[in-house]
Amino acid sequence: MPLLILLIPSLLFLVAVFALPLFRYTWLSFHADSVMTGLVAIPNQGANWQRFIHDTRYLQDLFQTLRFSVVSVTAEIVLGLVIALILHQPMRKRALIRSSALIPWALPTTVMALGWRWIFNTPYGPIDRLTQSWLGQSLNALGEPSIAWITTVYADIWKTTPFVALILLAGLQTIPSDLYEAAKLEGAGSWICLRRITIPLLLPYLGLALMFRLAQAFGVFDLVQVMTGGGPASSTESIALYAYWNALRFLDFGYSATIMIGSFVILSSLILITWLVVTTARNRSQQSLAR
Amino acid sequence: MKATRFLILALLVWSLAPLTWQLYTSFCIDQALVTPFASLNQRWTLDHYQSVLNSNPPFIRYLLNSLFVGGLSTFLTLLLAIPSSYSLSKMGRRSSLVIKFFLIGCALFPYVLLFLALLEIARYLQLGNSLIALAVPYAALSQPLAILLLTNAFSDLPAELEDAARVEGLSVVQRFRWILLPLISPAIASTAILVFLFSWNEYPIALTWISDSGKLTLPVAMARIAGSSIHSVPYGPYAAATVIGSIPLILLVMVFQKPIVSGLTTGAVKG
Amino acid sequence: MFTIRKRSLILLTAAILFISSSLLCLSVLAKRPDNVSILMAAPFADSTSELVKIFNQKNRGRIHLEVIKGPLETEAISDLAISSLLLGNTPFDGLLMDVTWVPKYAKAGWLESLDNYFNEDDLNALAEGADEGNHYQGSLLRWPLNADIGLLYWRTDLMDEPPRTPQELESISQKLQNGGRIPYGYVWQGKQYEGLSCVFLEIIDGFGGEWFSPDSGRIGLDEPPGLDASEWLNHLIQTGVSPRAVTNFAESEALQSFKSGQAAFMRNWPYAWAELQKNDSQVRNKVGITTMVAEKGHQPAATLGSWGLSLLKGSAHPESTVEAFKFLTSEESQRYLYTKYGNTPTKAEIFNDQKLLENYPSLQSIGEALAYARSRPETPLYAQISVVLQRKLSSSLTGMTTPVEAMQQAERSTAQVLEAAGESP
Repeated sequence: MPLLILLIPSLLFLVAVFALPLFRYTWLSFHADSVMTGLVAIPNQGANWQRFIHDTRYLQDLFQTLRFSVVSVTAEIVLGLVIALILHQPMRKRALIRSSALIPWALPTTVMALGWRWIFNTPYGPIDRLTQSWLGQSLNALGEPSIAWITTVYADIWKTTPFVALILLAGLQTIPSDLYEAAKLEGAGSWICLRRITIPLLLPYLGLALMFRLAQAFGVFDLVQVMTGGGPASSTESIALYAYWNALRFLDFGYSATIMIGSFVILSSLILITWLVVTTARNRSQQSLAR
Repeated sequence: MKATRFLILALLVWSLAPLTWQLYTSFCIDQALVTPFASLNQRWTLDHYQSVLNSNPPFIRYLLNSLFVGGLSTFLTLLLAIPSSYSLSKMGRRSSLVIKFFLIGCALFPYVLLFLALLEIARYLQLGNSLIALAVPYAALSQPLAILLLTNAFSDLPAELEDAARVEGLSVVQRFRWILLPLISPAIASTAILVFLFSWNEYPIALTWISDSGKLTLPVAMARIAGSSIHSVPYGPYAAATVIGSIPLILLVMVFQKPIVSGLTTGAVKG
Repeated sequence: MFTIRKRSLILLTAAILFISSSLLCLSVLAKRPDNVSILMAAPFADSTSELVKIFNQKNRGRIHLEVIKGPLETEAISDLAISSLLLGNTPFDGLLMDVTWVPKYAKAGWLESLDNYFNEDDLNALAEGADEGNHYQGSLLRWPLNADIGLLYWRTDLMDEPPRTPQELESISQKLQNGGRIPYGYVWQGKQYEGLSCVFLEIIDGFGGEWFSPDSGRIGLDEPPGLDASEWLNHLIQTGVSPRAVTNFAESEALQSFKSGQAAFMRNWPYAWAELQKNDSQVRNKVGITTMVAEKGHQPAATLGSWGLSLLKGSAHPESTVEAFKFLTSEESQRYLYTKYGNTPTKAEIFNDQKLLENYPSLQSIGEALAYARSRPETPLYAQISVVLQRKLSSSLTGMTTPVEAMQQAERSTAQVLEAAGESP
């Protein structure tokens, strides 16, 4: 019993920060609480939800947020694996190289978001100058809707791949090296080793990185707010940014809360599905390994 | 071997090139930014650094604010998480599993979605514009990860160790102080660094809780940085601010690279 | 030796104690000065810093004014002001407000009425155009500090007369571009942000339409003038009169391009004038200003972008705050702000000052344009309907939708926003 007492402060904190807001949002989502009501909550019989269901802007933002999450997380997992494999090799100055590779992850998002704004600036940034002299055409990386979202994905990959690599590196260190030696004795090449030993044993770590990153990417906010402000043509606007605008720019707290609780439900089901897929994949690979 | 060396080089270029460009920009005069290949008599300048460092409040202030919040929230997090994870590691398998699931759920929650409710809490309890108060949500948000990491560290300790100490007649506090804490100190160190990094970099909550310019933390100050003039794009001062804002973290990573990597190796995923 | 030193030490301590305690008494007896603080966007905080010093000298011991320097961009400072107000405990007494914020802040109950502090004569002294956008639902809530309006800048070395209609602007640009005299014709603000709404307001009004009328609830985007305006802006990019990058231009980018001599026309605010006359400008002494082009038979329009001072509810020193407002907007201050920083004055008298006009010929054109000032729709929902418009315009300018579809969608979304807020159109 005294064991539980030690846990209580932490749990209380967690309830205050995670559970209370969700109840509050649910309550708010059934109220009009905006500048038009003088910032007072008045019940409005589900009008927020009516609006939420028909909100094409939310739909677009949801699509864009999912697109951003899926593309950047996939790229981060692949690149992160490559980087982890590189950093796992014995090499000279390994500590220094590892630290350098970790730097992007340690910097505040807003710091580099400003940097990217300058690097991708049209026409004075280095990237635009390169494309101008090589392709004879401006890339307009932050002004063209079809390109701007890829630019934000790139910035996200740059920042968070080291984190994924870190988790996978931790995983690589748990794989006993005699497994590889045994495989080499049987004449397996490095590709086979990767496919048969490394990836199956890394699966739990890959799953962890995948779920963590998916959840975080779904809440992308700092990066787009500072780098593009959601533009051009709202092509980089994320759900979190839309919710933020509804609250702080439009002063519509009722609808902002509706967006957040709605997004929470959508995200939870996505995470659940991912988790199911990952666990079945893990079980299957363990079965094949046992065989 | 050659291929590996090439890959390492590519990795370094990928990670460091953007920062190098910012470093270069921060020393260029405005004219040189607009026409980089033109020959200019006077290409280099320290003006951008001067304008950033002499602004009101000085840029150093933001670094100190972030340092303060980061330090305080790390301390708070550990204060709460160490006892909790100890008790979690001693709990029965089934109940600990339930709590762990709850913690993982919290850790996976995109906390940006909490900002509106947290803003209301800040308004209700008059917590706005206080750096000490800001450390409280940070500590709360860091709990799940910290508890999960530390629980694994506690579980890795052999149970006989504590039993032996108990036989020797050491009280719970004594056992904690002299046996358990020293043994898990590597895990504590790496958890502390992760929490510190989170608090140092956190943006949406700081954005809504702090409006007083003297109390801004670094990420918000960066996003809000006022160029010296509206009339030209202030990329020079931006770049200088990026460089100054990056230096403490680069040092941090350089010094603590080992515990960061090993902290996650202790088995964050075992649960 | 030792005793002497000890005694002198005691004496010294006593003296210090005496002096400090009497100072303390004095300061308690004397009335502490009212501390007044005003939040301003960075450029205004910079330009008024001298005035603040003078004000504090004049009112020493009575009022101490402090200007808090906010961020640079309008939207960033709006976010900052709103989050400070939401946190409660008003951290400042006054706020320098953009004209579009007034209805929203008023409806949220954050503003104190200024009706008791400014009388009819004060209002009548304002120049035509500067008197707009300060009232909401009949009460005065803001006192204008400057009278920004959208202007068309043109190159006097490339043409004799500025264009008056959209067609003229295009044909002059194309002639100059084809002749290789200039890379681009017209630069403006095409990025997805508030500036794009300002640009659009001028064009739709110039084509004889209206974006949205809060009184009648009528939306004019999906009507011929709205569609024409949308198509014309799109056309500018398509024909190369405006560079593609204009879809990511804000004021500073447009200014940079025009200042380095790359364009024949620019839409910008009055402050740009002073910037274009600086030594590093390629177009120094080659620039004229006029009102935005308009279709034949219609009046040109100039978007009103003025900034003004508002008193926040909960201020501990409303009288002293208004005193500071009056000083900052006095004729003398306006003259100083105009000559030194190019802030457009708001008092009619200054526009008629012959001596000033001699030294600053641009003032006359600004005064003339000011008469065509148009407010953006005055509704608490402005931010929302403006974002809808920016979004759709931006998607048409970047080729995601056709200009006509964009306006139809914008009209529908605007109606939805109004309906959701209970303001059925």
